[in-house]
Amino acid sequence: MELHDIMHGAGLVFIFLGILTIIVAGIGLFRLPDLYLRASAVGTSAGLGVASIVIGALLMDFSGLNLVKAAVAVIAQLLTSAVGSMAIARSGYLNNSLPAEITHTDDLLKTRRDRATDPEGESST
Amino acid sequence: MSTTTSLASWPWRMVSFLLWYIKAFVLANVYVTLDVLRPKRRMKMSPAIIAVPAASESDTEWTLISCFITLTPGTLTLSISREHKILYVHGMFVESRESLVEEIQEMEDRMLRALRRSPGDLSRPIRVPDVVPVDEPPEGEVR
Repeated sequence: MELHDIMHGAGLVFIFLGILTIIVAGIGLFRLPDLYLRASAVGTSAGLGVASIVIGALLMDFSGLNLVKAAVAVIAQLLTSAVGSMAIARSGYLNNSLPAEITHTDDLLKTRRDRATDPEGESST
Repeated sequence: MSTTTSLASWPWRMVSFLLWYIKAFVLANVYVTLDVLRPKRRMKMSPAIIAVPAASESDTEWTLISCFITLTPGTLTLSISREHKILYVHGMFVESRESLVEEIQEMEDRMLRALRRSPGDLSRPIRVPDVVPVDEPPEGEVR
């Protein structure tokens, strides 16, 4: 009975941590200046939020089968959120969504064929 | 290192990479969360896109290292060039080129040691090669 109560409490803590992470990710969507910062900060934080809620639910209702289900859900969630962020950021770059002004170095700009002869492209590094 | 000793330390290397990655992941989450909540004029953000020389060889290693970099909040793989062995990484808190390169290469070193039965060659090109656009992309490389 004692162990059961501890796991119930820990589950609640994990679920609230997950909710907090998702709220912060939502605030970040509004506050960060460009596509790449949003994709890197928000995409994966939201992934962590969902993973944390799944772990919390597992702790509140623990069984062997649920453990397997939760492991598969967490791994799939983290993998897909990473691949999704990369796909969004890369397609954004290929479609001329330039990084925000505060970006101080951009090595990828050198590889663009429409900017290689542009003198402004060299001064940005 | 002989084959038997490297085989014996393989599980240990995997576990130590996972623990190290979880620690780095949580720390990065805290940094990003604090910076998102900070008032705008005191934000410490200094983003940059850096070409990082990489030591990965196989498809699995390239896929995993770019996934691990993207999973860490604050860093994001934008593109890779297998021909030049470069990862293009967008970082959120980049003080200098060297600091981000060091951070990424430490993660890659640990990952390769965990993935390979014996670590093998971990050398990288010292200097980032000059990548210029070519009319025809090299074979096997998707732009």
